Amino acid sequence: MLDNLVLGFQTALTVENLLWCFLGVLLGTVIGLLPGLGSTTGVAVLLPLTFTLEPVTALIMLAGIYYGAQYGGTITSVLLSTPGEAASVVTTLDGYQMAKQGRAGAALAIAAIGSFIAAIISLALLMALAPPLATLALRFGPVENLAMMILGLVIVVSFQGGAFVRGALMAIVGLLLSTVGVATGSGEARFTFGSVDLLSGIPFVEVMIGLFALGEVFHQLRTGAEKPIRARFRDMMISRKEIAQSMPAIFRGSGIGFLLGMLPGAGSTLASFMSYGIERRVSRNRAGFGSGAIEGVASPESANNAAANANFVPTLALGIPGGATTAVLLGAFTIYGLQPGPLLFEQQPELVWGLLASFFIGNVLLLVLNLPLAPVFAQMLRLPYGYLYPLIILTSCVGAYSVSNNMFSVWVVLVFGVIGFVMKELNLPMAPLVLGLVLGPLFEKALVQTSAVGNGDLGIVFTHPIAVGILAFALALVTVPRLVGAVRGHVARSRADRRAGTREKSSIDT
Amino acid sequence: MKSLPITALGLGLAATLALTACSSTGASAGGAFRPSNTTMTVPFSAGGGSDISGRTVAAGLEAATGVNVTTENREGGAGAVGYSYFLGQAGTDSHLLATETSLLTLPIAQDVEFDHTSFTPIAKFGDDYTLLVVRADSPYRTCADVVDAAGTDRVVAAVSGAVSLDEVVFSMVEKDQDVEFDRVPFESGGEVLAGLLAGQVDIASLNPSEAIGQIESGDFRALCAFAEERYEYEELADIPTAAEQGIDVAFAQFRGIIAPGGISDEAADYWIDVAGTFAESDEYTTYIEDNYLQPNVSYGDEFAEYLETASSDLETVFDK
Repeated sequence: MLDNLVLGFQTALTVENLLWCFLGVLLGTVIGLLPGLGSTTGVAVLLPLTFTLEPVTALIMLAGIYYGAQYGGTITSVLLSTPGEAASVVTTLDGYQMAKQGRAGAALAIAAIGSFIAAIISLALLMALAPPLATLALRFGPVENLAMMILGLVIVVSFQGGAFVRGALMAIVGLLLSTVGVATGSGEARFTFGSVDLLSGIPFVEVMIGLFALGEVFHQLRTGAEKPIRARFRDMMISRKEIAQSMPAIFRGSGIGFLLGMLPGAGSTLASFMSYGIERRVSRNRAGFGSGAIEGVASPESANNAAANANFVPTLALGIPGGATTAVLLGAFTIYGLQPGPLLFEQQPELVWGLLASFFIGNVLLLVLNLPLAPVFAQMLRLPYGYLYPLIILTSCVGAYSVSNNMFSVWVVLVFGVIGFVMKELNLPMAPLVLGLVLGPLFEKALVQTSAVGNGDLGIVFTHPIAVGILAFALALVTVPRLVGAVRGHVARSRADRRAGTREKSSIDT
Repeated sequence: MKSLPITALGLGLAATLALTACSSTGASAGGAFRPSNTTMTVPFSAGGGSDISGRTVAAGLEAATGVNVTTENREGGAGAVGYSYFLGQAGTDSHLLATETSLLTLPIAQDVEFDHTSFTPIAKFGDDYTLLVVRADSPYRTCADVVDAAGTDRVVAAVSGAVSLDEVVFSMVEKDQDVEFDRVPFESGGEVLAGLLAGQVDIASLNPSEAIGQIESGDFRALCAFAEERYEYEELADIPTAAEQGIDVAFAQFRGIIAPGGISDEAADYWIDVAGTFAESDEYTTYIEDNYLQPNVSYGDEFAEYLETASSDLETVFDK
């Protein structure tokens, strides 16, 4: 283990590798910043540039782009309510509220700190336990995935607090939208009306850009006359108290992110939503969620970074991609003449450990890069909206076009921009819709697979203990607060009755 | 295999000669058509098999032509978006598409406006066959064992799509042997790999490049190859063909390039010519070997014939 670490750092700390690592994380940050241009596209586009490099150097740079983009994606989510990646959607909920209150600098700083801590925790786990963890992750088959998707939807719906019905409604709309396109299993085209563009479904990245970025712009144009945010530079800095306050959220987010990230398929989007949902339940500051709670930024940002690293568990230990970007990276392995698979750790120790060591270095670089830059980026909000709005609309459209070089994407952005505006007017939550759209295909696939594995009998769920456990937890999430609420209500009422009856001050009043 | 470069060269020469013979207007051979900067469309997302193939060929053609060949991904609809876009490029002679078997399966499975005759076939560079693999602790030792078991018990097969290569191969085995497999649908080779590793399915039909890691580590056992001949690669040479075990099934995913429909013969011949140059390069050999492909090359009309035959084979398979 120690030998491997030494070998890894020896490889990663050469001047050339350091330089490429720095270039990777820098490019990653920029790529994450641009809406639409996510890490998957970024890695793929820059892949050919690395053909002349040593394989380990090339992979260090490409991986740098991947986790660098996780940092970059936060910046626009907080400042402009424009998530750069699906995994940053939840960050907009409290991050943008913080920015409106002139606390953008603090939000960005805690995101960077949280991401860094999450990265270090998840890397330590990855280095120490990747092969056994990967074997464990394999026990998550279709049945367990099905349970996990249900849990994810339940959490997101319930984190709307009082607006449970509206949240549920929007999640269902998202799920319904996700049925457009070629169905898993049967391969039949549904609701495409002969359009080739709709065969692959309604693309969630474009929907997300439309709803959040354009929806917000249209909404502000209607309310109008909002003043640029003029915060003092001191307010842009994060206080020590806020860091301490966020620590529990960061640790919980890292844990949840790592667990979900190592399952092939579930990914960092679900991780960020889930950790936010859980934080909203358990945090001391849960009342402040939705109106600019710093924990509401710390938790999903830690989770999506931990998940991004945990994606490498199945990727490196089994040669099975943990997510879309790691799938591209696996493709790169083949290009460099490397054979991904269970023997990679044995056959290519220098490459694997060098790559892992470079993650440490890259994350340190990102922290150093992002912390001082947080207040600087936050200054962007001083721009008068007359300049800012056209800029947002332009980058949204260009970003959407760049996703698949297709005008169809731009139309989706514009249409969902209008829908987002209407939703804002009606006070409907948008995050559940996006998650419904993201989880829909995964949910359907898990359902079809579970049914196929069980030969048509969904009762198979009850023969899988892990799945039963997850479902029980989901059920508890929905029912327990209601029961507790009902009991509390009952107690309060009887107390009130007593008070009314005796007109005495209750001594056990809490 | 060794004769391939020579065949390629011969075909290239033949094409050039034919061109010379036809060009009575006095244009010199190969000089009749010069490409401008060229786009290589990949109808799948970056990082997949089509992308790797498209980018390798693009780099090779760049060297052979001296013009820029830029790769662009137009993914969506399991390839339908990219091909439909390419349909709209009819007549553009400096545009290519990295094609594979979805060119034939999409028109069968989906309501699309193109089929293989809508485009100009340029070159087929190789074939990717599949292996029937099981977990190391599986009771099956040969593909015949699997077929026997399917006759009496429930054998669960992983498939990565309704018209995917593994679905084609399993359907062919079912027809040939009059048995039936249950199926669990997945969405990619990687997912199938995970499903088989975890024991959620009994059998899978995977490309050698997808399964080789697990075969070498001893997690998987390859029972037979659905190919006409055994592989020559050292690590695959011991795997018998399905035919050796009494199952008459061989089907490969092809990889190649096509140009838009309605381009001039000069342009088509030019691309066939430079594709031949690429097929002789070291980059080509490395690409084929790294991905465990069979280097079965064909050009122009011969490629068109292959497409015709494979297409009617597929129609028979899916006409249940």
